[in-house]
Amino acid sequence: MKIYLINDLQRLQQHLAKNYQFHQVVTNSDGQCHWQQIASETTKPVVHDPLIYEKPQSSAKAFFFTEQEKVLVFNGEFFQETIPTPKPFVLFGVQSCDLTAIHYQDKFFKDDPYYQARRQQCLLVGLDCITPCEHGFCPTVNAGPGVKDGYADIILHPLANKQWLVIEQTNKGAQALKDLVFTETHWHYLTQRDLVLHQCEKEFPDDKYITDGIQKINSDEISSEFWRKLAIQCLGCSGCTTLCPTCSCYGTRAIKQDNNHFSQQRFWDSCLYEGFQREASFNNPSAEAGTRVQRFWQHKFGDEFFTEFSRHGCVGCGRCEQTCPGVIGIHSVMKRLTEERGQKNGQEDTNA
Amino acid sequence: MLNHIPDSIELVDYIDDGEQARHYHFRLLNLKIGQNKNHQHNWQQVQPGQFFMLNVPSVGEAPFTFTEPPNEQGEFRAFIRQMGQVTSALFTMQRGDILGARGPFGSGWPLDKINNNNTLIVAGGCGLAPLVTLIDKLADSLMDKPENKQKLVLVYAARNKATQMLTPERARWQKQIKIFNTLDEYPNASDEYPNASDDASDELPVTTVEGSPLIILPKALSTFTSPPTTALLCGPEVMMNSIATYLTEYGMASDAIFLALERRMHCAVGLCGHCYINHQYVCKSGPTFSWQTLQQLKGL
Amino acid sequence: MSTKLINTLCPFCGVGCGINLKLDSNDQLVGVEPQKNHPISQGKLCDKGWSTAYAITSPKRLTQPLKRVNKTFYPISWQEALSTISEELQGVIEQWGSQAVGLISSARATNEDNYVAQKFARAVLKTNNIDHCARICHSPTVAGLKQSLGSGAMTNSAKDIFSSDLILVFGADPTENHSIIGGQIIQAHLQGAQLIVVDPRVTRLAKLANQHMQLKLGSNIALINAMLHVIIEESYFDKTFIKARCDGFEHLAQHVKSITPESVEKLTGVSAQLIRTVAKAYSQAKHAMIFYGMGITQYMSGTNNVISLANLALTCGHIGKAGTGVNPLRGQNNVQGACDMGCLPNVYPGYQSVDDEKAQEKFSQAWHTEVVKAPGLTSLGMSKAALSGNFRALLLFGEDPAVTDPDQNQVKSSLKNLDLLVVAELTLTETAKLADIVLPAASFAEKEGTFTNCERRVQKLNQALAPIGQAKGDWQWLQALAKEMGSEQLNWSNSEEVFNEITSLTPQYQEMNYQKLDDNYGLQWPCTNNSPNGTAILHSTSFPIGKAKLIAVNHSDIDEMPDEDFPLQLTTNRLHFHYGCGSMTRNSPLLERETPAGILFINPIDADNLNISHFSAVSVKSRRGYLETRAILTNDVPLGLVSMPYHFKEAPSNQLTNTAQDPVTKMPELKACAVIVTALAQGKIPKTIEQLQQES
Repeated sequence: MKIYLINDLQRLQQHLAKNYQFHQVVTNSDGQCHWQQIASETTKPVVHDPLIYEKPQSSAKAFFFTEQEKVLVFNGEFFQETIPTPKPFVLFGVQSCDLTAIHYQDKFFKDDPYYQARRQQCLLVGLDCITPCEHGFCPTVNAGPGVKDGYADIILHPLANKQWLVIEQTNKGAQALKDLVFTETHWHYLTQRDLVLHQCEKEFPDDKYITDGIQKINSDEISSEFWRKLAIQCLGCSGCTTLCPTCSCYGTRAIKQDNNHFSQQRFWDSCLYEGFQREASFNNPSAEAGTRVQRFWQHKFGDEFFTEFSRHGCVGCGRCEQTCPGVIGIHSVMKRLTEERGQKNGQEDTNA
Repeated sequence: MLNHIPDSIELVDYIDDGEQARHYHFRLLNLKIGQNKNHQHNWQQVQPGQFFMLNVPSVGEAPFTFTEPPNEQGEFRAFIRQMGQVTSALFTMQRGDILGARGPFGSGWPLDKINNNNTLIVAGGCGLAPLVTLIDKLADSLMDKPENKQKLVLVYAARNKATQMLTPERARWQKQIKIFNTLDEYPNASDEYPNASDDASDELPVTTVEGSPLIILPKALSTFTSPPTTALLCGPEVMMNSIATYLTEYGMASDAIFLALERRMHCAVGLCGHCYINHQYVCKSGPTFSWQTLQQLKGL
Repeated sequence: MSTKLINTLCPFCGVGCGINLKLDSNDQLVGVEPQKNHPISQGKLCDKGWSTAYAITSPKRLTQPLKRVNKTFYPISWQEALSTISEELQGVIEQWGSQAVGLISSARATNEDNYVAQKFARAVLKTNNIDHCARICHSPTVAGLKQSLGSGAMTNSAKDIFSSDLILVFGADPTENHSIIGGQIIQAHLQGAQLIVVDPRVTRLAKLANQHMQLKLGSNIALINAMLHVIIEESYFDKTFIKARCDGFEHLAQHVKSITPESVEKLTGVSAQLIRTVAKAYSQAKHAMIFYGMGITQYMSGTNNVISLANLALTCGHIGKAGTGVNPLRGQNNVQGACDMGCLPNVYPGYQSVDDEKAQEKFSQAWHTEVVKAPGLTSLGMSKAALSGNFRALLLFGEDPAVTDPDQNQVKSSLKNLDLLVVAELTLTETAKLADIVLPAASFAEKEGTFTNCERRVQKLNQALAPIGQAKGDWQWLQALAKEMGSEQLNWSNSEEVFNEITSLTPQYQEMNYQKLDDNYGLQWPCTNNSPNGTAILHSTSFPIGKAKLIAVNHSDIDEMPDEDFPLQLTTNRLHFHYGCGSMTRNSPLLERETPAGILFINPIDADNLNISHFSAVSVKSRRGYLETRAILTNDVPLGLVSMPYHFKEAPSNQLTNTAQDPVTKMPELKACAVIVTALAQGKIPKTIEQLQQES
């Protein structure tokens, strides 16, 4: 693993843009951050935006698990797989929360040919966050602010004076940097990086209500009545599941063409929809909104999932808080949970 | 890598069987005996209780169980009730039309636990379909080896006579195993359904009563010389839950009671998320679960 | 995977949320995301907004003009379409006169489209026969608030929700129909604002509210008069404000003197005590804001209902300040704009009356042609005249009256009676199926222009995609048709030129231009010399009519009460998953999955008595129609009341609804009629209206 110290980030950007379709987070005229393809092999990169630390409104998940994807075609006789064939691309400057989510989905979609076809073509350049972002709480769920080892092919760490630390993480990363003449630097910069990240962690607001909330979700203290009440505020918009970088549920549908041909598509779904589990017979195991809202949070913070994935399903980006019109994103729910007197305990108290 | 792609099948034939229900006969296309390398799926190793995804072109996919698994010619059968869009479209298809199928998926009935043990089977409505291959197998072995002490009792619940499915199968089993029927809506006083009698005849008398299967359970259980060691349930979830509860109170172990669940499914390989129960997916961990596992998963 | 992001506006309701369209490398719309910094939506969208990509990219989109011969549609060229329409129109005008032709424009189209539509009617066809669907949502708002306050629009802004101490939601279901504003009401309530809901159904907000007044259908005025009684009797009213800013207080006070809360308990179904509590809370709150919806307007007494609400706000001085006001929640994304643009038979752009000689003069001059003086027909008026043969040719775009208008059977036969029906649409809607010529319309993502949201904010729409196939924007085909008819009245090279003409003739829009709209996330009218940056709160120092008018109004019974033959009351509601006739939202596999195609909400006790179970098939019959649908059992509707959404063409509630009208605005009484509900055989699949009609 090599470490470089560079003064000119643009050189790195230009170098990568030669070999990869180059995507980076940019800010549009409304001040919104989003992933943008800046250059491909056909269009020369003009000016590279500097890296920004605000997280993009949409995470990087759609690069691998796309909003809508054709999975097969039928020609009246046979069904044929339609695996995508993307060109090699680089995501330049993925923050730690979103990288953790990619790592999570890499596991979940390990055997999915569509996801893997895209994922294999991607070079991940991670970006350390050195200040907390709005609604973010990545340290609480062990997903940041620094890029975790092995979650990116290359890590970028900002230093003072517009200098950057470039840390090789994988062979893929080393290959990508191979022809660049950069100055290798000392290991002690890593210690400095640790200090900066540690300092950043300390700047995050108090997260006790989140850790308490997680504990409560995994206790049997929370009544179904609590979830029923909370779910009155779920407007069923699917914003949380759409923006959540680890949500991966999908539906499928046939798209009819002429003469008995059709294609089958899969598309992002949301477990908050009433129809998500409803069967053709109208039987619905999660007909109650409360059940569905509970399920969403169980999936993000339940011990059963932690055991399976060795981490929480939540990566602490806080996008659900920002986008939920019904005010039941992560922070709101965790605060409500901690205010909730454990019903079962409460009853014991009064009996005692 | 997971395979999401169906194999082509031909709709060979169908017969009407019960209200808005049909017994379908399909054939895997291009299946040469002994060499199914053109085929993506492991069609020759279907276990009773496993399911497949039927793809009705231009409409969609839905899960069904086999009433007869694919034979060497690739022919198989499934019992299908008209319910939603996929089945409604299927019911308009003609003999010779081409559809898709992928599978088999999921875990079937726990054969090792059933072997040579007294087994109670409770099915409701269409819930009998996933049990057909198993009952056939067990009933045959009972006939073949009279020395086998295993006893098999079927309780079959339906809303009314019109919704009693799989009539030919039940008629066949009548000679082999004891069957109790329950009907929510009992026909008028006429003697269409004689109650249990001790007539000595070839066929085991079928007992039919009005009400839920719970009503007949004591009687069904009393036909066993020693209590059943395994119970297999398939039908509406509410019905299965109440029967499982009854059976545990009766003294059966909760890991000896098995339930086959129905869920909305899209991928059948544990990815799409629709068939979740807690952290498990019915398509992969099920559709057959022990009552013990299910109670844990549902936090009951 | 998107490679490009276009910022524009959500095409659904009147809230006007900021939305970014995500395009992939082939310029295909693959998804959307909310605009984080948008002043109204602040990074949020509802389920309709999130599903926008499905609505636009539907495989059902029309891509070329079609001509109907008997029951079959044949593709034709634009030239053939335009010359056919032109010849037919001119033929009708020659034989029957200009009053026999007309136009129905769309609250879903841009201001530019709407402006051009009314100009086409008035300057090319020479008729005031121009209308749009505000007729069936908020025409009583325009009529009522115009009388009371002098301006028929939302008095305040969405952001005022957060400076209000008490929010009174009257006959509106904002979390379902205007979800983002509904969510903001929830947020304000969680932050301490009192929330009071007045609705016959237990809406989502009613479940969260401090108080829910579950009144009986059509008893709004009685309830408000009783509140006014309490407010005046207990001297809760704002004496200073009334003295300085209102006329008619004495008369109003006299009028409500005998209307005690006790006297209306039976009529309203609300306890006198609750009426007193709410009257006190509303009048004594420092800042109290009223939101209302179609539970106020869709009655025969619609205009009076609106006046009544204005009385309430004025009496308590809750107007002209932050966190107050009388705020209609407008249904369609541009229903405000379509009204502003004068797509109404009685007004030119900017609500300048067509009866006013000065206005006639102004527009005659501006358009270089003499405008007609004869009054125009409303959409329902056109329907009626079509039935009697006095109205012969109709151009219509972006609306589906065959599904959304009351008493569908009558609407359909009137449309069939026309010599020429032209429909421009995204997909082949039920109305388009009746058309002689169908034109492929460009979707919101395929055009540039402006929308005006419910808080009077004129916002810029940006083109993200090239129009699909041969689809055209509405003003563009209207302009081409005008040219085909030999008129040079419509002649612009882009939307901005149309907008500049709008601002030169519409006083409220005077100081606006595209650049300014782009720079400010839109501007709220009036935007004039005096208020070049727009106006967030209306009436802060004076009313357009000088003093506001307190107008005494009386309760009137709804037209059709339940009886032995039709024992249940039917009301209509909307589902948050769907929008209007569902022609866009039902293309989303997610939203379409949420409910069966057609549902009836019924109280579990009523259902039990009728032997109806959850999701089972039922028939619903009124004096006007019959349909089959599925029942949803819910305590959200009280005993004796059933409710149906109107989104589903398979089971359209407008088969059943009453056509009795508000005398002022001709608004039909969509919110109340009498029906009989019967269980169908178990396991039966409900028949669609089309199947039922084929059978009969």
